[in-house]
Amino acid sequence: MSKYFYIALTSIRSKLAYVGEIGSKTIFLFVILYIFLCLWKVTYTETNQNALGGLTLNQMLWYLVVTESMILSLPPIATVVDQDVRTGSLATQLVRPLSYPLSVFANTTGERCLSFAINFFAGSLIACLFVGMPDLQLHNIPMFLLLLPLSFALDFSIYFLIGLSAFWLEDTTGITLIYSRLTMILGGMLIPLELFPDSWQQILRVLPFSAIVYGPARTFVTGDFHLFFYLIAQQLVAIFIFAFLIHVVYTTALKRVFSHGG
Amino acid sequence: MENAVSVNQLVKNFVLKKREGMRWTSSETTAVDGITLSIEKGQSVAFIGPNGAGKSTTIKMLTGILHPTSGDATVLGCIPWKERTRLARRIGVVFGQRSQLWYHLPPRDTFELLSKIYEIEREVFQTRRDMLIERFQLGEFLDTPVRKLSLGQRMRAEVACSLLHGPEVIFLDEPTIGLDVIARQELRDLISEWNRENGVTVFLTSHDAGDIQHVAKRVIVINHGKVVLDDRVSRVRRQYLREKVLSVKYADTPQSIELVGVKTLIESGHAFKFEVDTLAVPIERVMSEIMRAGSVVDITIEDPPLEEVIAHIYSTPPESDEEEGEEETDV
Repeated sequence: MSKYFYIALTSIRSKLAYVGEIGSKTIFLFVILYIFLCLWKVTYTETNQNALGGLTLNQMLWYLVVTESMILSLPPIATVVDQDVRTGSLATQLVRPLSYPLSVFANTTGERCLSFAINFFAGSLIACLFVGMPDLQLHNIPMFLLLLPLSFALDFSIYFLIGLSAFWLEDTTGITLIYSRLTMILGGMLIPLELFPDSWQQILRVLPFSAIVYGPARTFVTGDFHLFFYLIAQQLVAIFIFAFLIHVVYTTALKRVFSHGG
Repeated sequence: MENAVSVNQLVKNFVLKKREGMRWTSSETTAVDGITLSIEKGQSVAFIGPNGAGKSTTIKMLTGILHPTSGDATVLGCIPWKERTRLARRIGVVFGQRSQLWYHLPPRDTFELLSKIYEIEREVFQTRRDMLIERFQLGEFLDTPVRKLSLGQRMRAEVACSLLHGPEVIFLDEPTIGLDVIARQELRDLISEWNRENGVTVFLTSHDAGDIQHVAKRVIVINHGKVVLDDRVSRVRRQYLREKVLSVKYADTPQSIELVGVKTLIESGHAFKFEVDTLAVPIERVMSEIMRAGSVVDITIEDPPLEEVIAHIYSTPPESDEEEGEEETDV
């Protein structure tokens, strides 16, 4: 496995070559957080509530710091796979003693970890400025750090599957767009699941979207043990299912690799 | 001698889908049509053919990227498409139009990464890396990000990377494409030196006659998915085209030479260039006529340029015209 770890490290080093691009995302993060701070402040004041969906204003903003940092750190996984398939670059990957899915995972996850760290750091500064330090218990952090990589792995596996569909489809951007918007909306990027109607919540909690965004962010701010164990199980089961699907689709797809000149 | 590559009746068909109005129709096209060949260990072979002849498809089957429709092939005793990962440790591949170097990082970082990917022992890696740096003269740009390298520097680094794990066979798919004359020559010299001194089997595809002439000893020509010629490069040059070019310089004006099969190409003062059809007239006869015609100061006999030989082979119609070219769909 050390080779994949080294690919991830190389990816981080490569990403550091254009830190400016990552920096520009933190400006967007600042704007988003400021807008939502204003919106939530009004909501909390108008409803005369200390907590909405079980979160205080401090927790709500820190929840947003986590969800936004995760979403903005997403590398273009499906596009990478799509282009590898479509341009024939897959060939250069297949001639090495590597698993292509694992090497793309290592490459994109290395990049994502760096982007997340920068976004989270910038987001934390903004949140500290607006609402102060987070109301955390110490156990929240290790729980979050366990859920985060599983969340990245699950998100990766779905995007990778979408990328593989390039073997059959003319264009995968439509599916990528739909999936990314579903993750944002149904995954609780802007609004925690508790603020959705009750009937929706039951469905959303079993879908993988909530295990990707909502779960880790909620655990970070509340440190809820019950939610943590439920999420771990949900993430592991979902990763297992999607990894199996990747295996089946990738094996079938390899037999469909076409060749073209050059 | 043991074979590095053995191919027996290898066939690859592609299904080509076309939209006709609202309906999709599919047709099958044959890219590789029953190729049979073998390459001994340590040989340097040029695998050439016009665009769409099936070269890249064959290389991709031999490196395990593509599954054939039928037929057998082994590379270093491995069936490529079944033992791709195992074979990958023993072969090197360079695709001239694709890079394996990390664009934003210097070549040194790609070397490090490849040492992990191929699980090369640290000491072996360091020795081999230093040797490649010296032989390929990579030292001056080893720590420069790849995006800032010239194409010639990048290709030298690409080939060096593909040799880092000590492959027994190296597949080079148009390695000199886009390079200038000097960079091309340097790369050719390096590849042939590596073949000669390290015994690496070289399997080269190229459209450049110079690559074939300088790197390969044997040439396999493929057209319409079939092997149309398999011979030594020198013999192809000598035998495939029957013309020879004779450049003669006389001390003074010679008598005219009128022989069937001899054509005067250039006449400039006392210098002449003749094209001789050796099937129409033996070369000895032409030589004696030239000597008889006047006092010869200088004479050279040249083979026709390899480009002409290749163009002649490509233009030879296939036995059957039913086959179509290689699939062009980028998937």
